[in-house]
Amino acid sequence: MTASAEVTSGANGSSLAGRYYGQGIPYLPIQNYPGKLIAIEGTDGVGRSTQIQLLREWLEVKGYGVVETGWTRSPLMQPTIELAKSSNTLNKLTFVLLYATDFADRLEKEIIPALKAGFVVLSDRYIFSALARAGVRGVERQWLRSLYGFAIAPHLVFYLNVDVKTLISRVLAARGMDFWESGMDMKTGDDIYESFRTYQNKLLREYASMADEFHFRTVDARRSVDRIQDELRRQVAAFLEGHEAQT
Amino acid sequence: MTFSLLHATDFADRLLYKIIPPLKAGMLVLADRYTYTAFARDATRGVDRQWLRDLYSFAVRPDIALYFRVPIDVSVDRLMARRVKLKFYEAGMDLGWSANPVESFRLFQGKVLEEYDRLVDEFGLQVVDAKASITEQQRYVRSLIAPLMNVREAEMAAVGDEG
Repeated sequence: MTASAEVTSGANGSSLAGRYYGQGIPYLPIQNYPGKLIAIEGTDGVGRSTQIQLLREWLEVKGYGVVETGWTRSPLMQPTIELAKSSNTLNKLTFVLLYATDFADRLEKEIIPALKAGFVVLSDRYIFSALARAGVRGVERQWLRSLYGFAIAPHLVFYLNVDVKTLISRVLAARGMDFWESGMDMKTGDDIYESFRTYQNKLLREYASMADEFHFRTVDARRSVDRIQDELRRQVAAFLEGHEAQT
Repeated sequence: MTFSLLHATDFADRLLYKIIPPLKAGMLVLADRYTYTAFARDATRGVDRQWLRDLYSFAVRPDIALYFRVPIDVSVDRLMARRVKLKFYEAGMDLGWSANPVESFRLFQGKVLEEYDRLVDEFGLQVVDAKASITEQQRYVRSLIAPLMNVREAEMAAVGDEG
């Protein structure tokens, strides 16, 4: 089977997993790569990186090769994105496109080679964060989906779900509120606390609206680190063992 | 992909800062290359054509788009005559089609020209024969632009009457 248009349209999560969402990258065919792509999604401060670190250690002990990738971490784009964020010339469109460029670079240079070589790729955020952030800033949702048509549908998407109240106390206890995470660029007001609350509420609604479309496995992230990790491990183990049984 | 997306980012920035404000102010904007360059260049590099069109759907459609068409041999001769050092990406060296920059340029830009030809019908590009002399080309271009300007002046006059 090839990653053709028939497969992508109207397919369910399991048959789309490991394939391009849309037209993909014509010069990079990706059929039957042995690796697995697992995305951990969730808003700022929800505890993604802690969970990924624990998941990684556990997977490596079990003998899997693990590669991590994270939003804006591409060597090509990271300096540019930092520079652009520090000036005031970014608008919502160039913001989206810089992120997409960063993602394209990591997809071609990190994710696809790792999947080809049979690694488990743990992605700290995936395209859904980009879709959510741009969506709440008024960028057309259909345009965003076609832009990210070159992305690969993950085998598993865990969405760490939290309510704003819990999120606020966690973020304040950990490191305080940040300009971008508070959506201060949206200029809803000068009060960072209010802006954070309004912005994160919108973001959470946006993520929730994507849950069915992109087959999120929603995980209640209000619980303790260990409880969340247990659930992630249970689901990842079931998935990986299921695949090994097939082959 | 990254090449394509970086250019799109640059284009979006220029569109929002340099193109849309003067258009709103009723000025003329002359764009030296537009989205068609990306359509031709990126498709030659193997990026999906429909994805490119969707990507650039935020662009303003020009009132008129001129395509200066020239055979690849003429293009190469002109560049060589000026001893221009061919740029790595302009010559498509990233594609690894040839280790020789001139040969690579010829192969790559030849494909780019084929892509442009597909765009002429799709987007109604006005083809200007770029083998002709500068004066001939300029006269032809003026004959294409003049009717647009007449319409515009009539519109401006109408606005003036109302005011």
